[in-house]
Amino acid sequence: MSFAPAAHHVQESAALRELRESVRTFVREEIASGGFVPAVDCWLNSWDAAFSRRLAARGWLGMTIPVEYGGHGRSFLERFVVTEELLAAGAPLAAHWISDRQIGPSLMKFGSEEQRRQLLPGIARGETFFAIGMSEPDSGSDLASVRTKAVEVDGGWHLTGSKIWTSGAHLSHYFIVLVRSAPLDPENRHAGLSQFIVALDSPGIDIRPIVSMNGHHHFNQVFFDNVFVPDAMLFGRAGDGWKQVTSELSYERSGPERLLSTLPVLSEMAAATQRGDLAPDPELGRMFARLMGLHEMSISVADALTHGRPTDQEATIVKVLGTATEGDVAELVGLTIGAAGSNDGLARLREMAATALLSRPGFTLRGGTNEILRGVIARGLGLR
Amino acid sequence: MSDVQRIDAQLEQTLEQVFATSAGLHTGSADLHFDRALWVTLAELGFTRLTSAATGAGWIEAAGLLRAAARHAAAVPVAENDLLAGWLVEQAGLPDDPSTVRTACIADAAGAASGVPWASAVERIAVLWEAADGWRVADVPAAEANVEHRRDLAGRPSDDVRIDLAKFPSAQVAPEVARAYDLRGALARAVQSVGAMERLLAMSGQYVTERVQFGRPLAKFQAIQNLVADIACETALANAAVDAAVVEMAAGHGDLDRVELAVAVARSVVGHAASVTVRNAHQVHGAIGTTLEHRLHEFTKPLLAWRMEFGAVREWDARLTEMLARPGVDLWAFGVRTDRP
Repeated sequence: MSFAPAAHHVQESAALRELRESVRTFVREEIASGGFVPAVDCWLNSWDAAFSRRLAARGWLGMTIPVEYGGHGRSFLERFVVTEELLAAGAPLAAHWISDRQIGPSLMKFGSEEQRRQLLPGIARGETFFAIGMSEPDSGSDLASVRTKAVEVDGGWHLTGSKIWTSGAHLSHYFIVLVRSAPLDPENRHAGLSQFIVALDSPGIDIRPIVSMNGHHHFNQVFFDNVFVPDAMLFGRAGDGWKQVTSELSYERSGPERLLSTLPVLSEMAAATQRGDLAPDPELGRMFARLMGLHEMSISVADALTHGRPTDQEATIVKVLGTATEGDVAELVGLTIGAAGSNDGLARLREMAATALLSRPGFTLRGGTNEILRGVIARGLGLR
Repeated sequence: MSDVQRIDAQLEQTLEQVFATSAGLHTGSADLHFDRALWVTLAELGFTRLTSAATGAGWIEAAGLLRAAARHAAAVPVAENDLLAGWLVEQAGLPDDPSTVRTACIADAAGAASGVPWASAVERIAVLWEAADGWRVADVPAAEANVEHRRDLAGRPSDDVRIDLAKFPSAQVAPEVARAYDLRGALARAVQSVGAMERLLAMSGQYVTERVQFGRPLAKFQAIQNLVADIACETALANAAVDAAVVEMAAGHGDLDRVELAVAVARSVVGHAASVTVRNAHQVHGAIGTTLEHRLHEFTKPLLAWRMEFGAVREWDARLTEMLARPGVDLWAFGVRTDRP
């Protein structure tokens, strides 16, 4: 008999709880002084380089990067706690999001010494921002089908093709791309892929905006026309792209951003209930309970990763349930409040709900659709 | 950085083995009968009164026991005997004979209680009621109570009881005991529910890989994979919420507000998880899963029954809303605490 994936309650140490409290104090001060306004989907939509640098000044960027590379040598769980608090507050995290979550750890794992020295200090200072180039117009969920090509030339590579759904490319300094560096072998589709770090001001790069249906611009399509990338910017080993990309999926899938994108909406719903602007609705309690359960799972995965325990299945489950639940929060508010008309005390909630409802379709798409992820879970259960 | 509290792996294995080999099969009846042979085995191993002051075991171990029992549809009142009745008798300082089989209930001032689990099958009933001078506990021989036999939707005895409270020696307990009793009962049912969900997941996974339709196992159909994957998701979430509540209860810090929050979260999550796990498990099993002959109902029915006890799902949802609607509460900080009791 196989039991359900284990989730074990993580009792936070005194140091972790103090860290949480210090982030909460910082957040309160920031909100009080107008440093930021809590926002929905803040890790994708709210770009504020100055705020990123204020976090960096407190040592809350590049936390897990070793001190010798300009980081802070803190644990993954410490980074988790800080990130969770900032997301729950709806703080503007988009500028440093990819560089802090993904690029720092990846550089430590696969980067060359030269790349680490060149890039990590800027990441930890909140001065170097990254985007990610994975999907292409003809390859969404089926990532191995990417067609952007890298051809080896003297001293480096020529990249040709395009990447799509690249959040923040128009504001970032670099992006990390997955490309085909050897012809497709139908027997082994995952071979022949490589990753490169590409400076976004390189000649031959054209960044075109893709405006979301709510009018926001974070997506882009990035075109490469024979863009020269020096050998020094090959990331990891040529041909290892697939292995590198998939090795860190547990971090990406189980992160608190997969359940907290609409937490400020639920908080505002509770506040409106406290003010008497909304009638008490059991659905508020239900959503809160699910998010608390997801918080438990998410930190349990973080703890397991810190200790090197495998948690692929749990991480995938967090993403499936978390992204559905954050969407359900948006839906709940959409079902609860009427259109504007009177001064009913719900203006703020209405504004957040509008953003949340229009962002919602993306929640269960980005970073792997829930349909693909259910298949991953089924495989973990031995069904495929 | 953090310590992870969990049941000893060897104890977990022992529990799984005991129930796998000793839990009787329920055949041919929708009614559940007390599995006395299993009870004797459990008693010999010291598992019937696991959390008594004498054994030193607590909620972490008891949760492992309840989950294993539910995974095997064991028809024994382990939760009632140990976590409710045994605990009540201990709180009241009444004599406790560990070989006695008990259930427990909260009665009204007239001594009446309805839906008392296993009352018609046990030897004694620990009864808690609010008397004129405060909350009292008596340990009443079941034979001397008026028990009207009924069953819950899982076929388990769920009886109406009337006790002549004045007839029996009783002891006063603090008012917190009544509040704690409800939370303990609510959590016990949530723990049992996770055990049943674990079994639904295992049964569903096995069935869809064995059953062939249209020339291939059901498991090869994406629609079926999705149904089973969702059972896994909801079970994992229920597990996480319940585990956190068990740890909060096991801490024994006496801060019942804190315990209530954790239990409410667990009961809400478990209650709604039951909707998905029960529905999907039946859906993948097809018509055979709806029969008395197939064992599926031994795990789906208790889920539906347990979530109705010690507070309905909607009541727990509403209770959480009520907590969040208190003036000055910040939703996130209220749920993710930084203080220690």
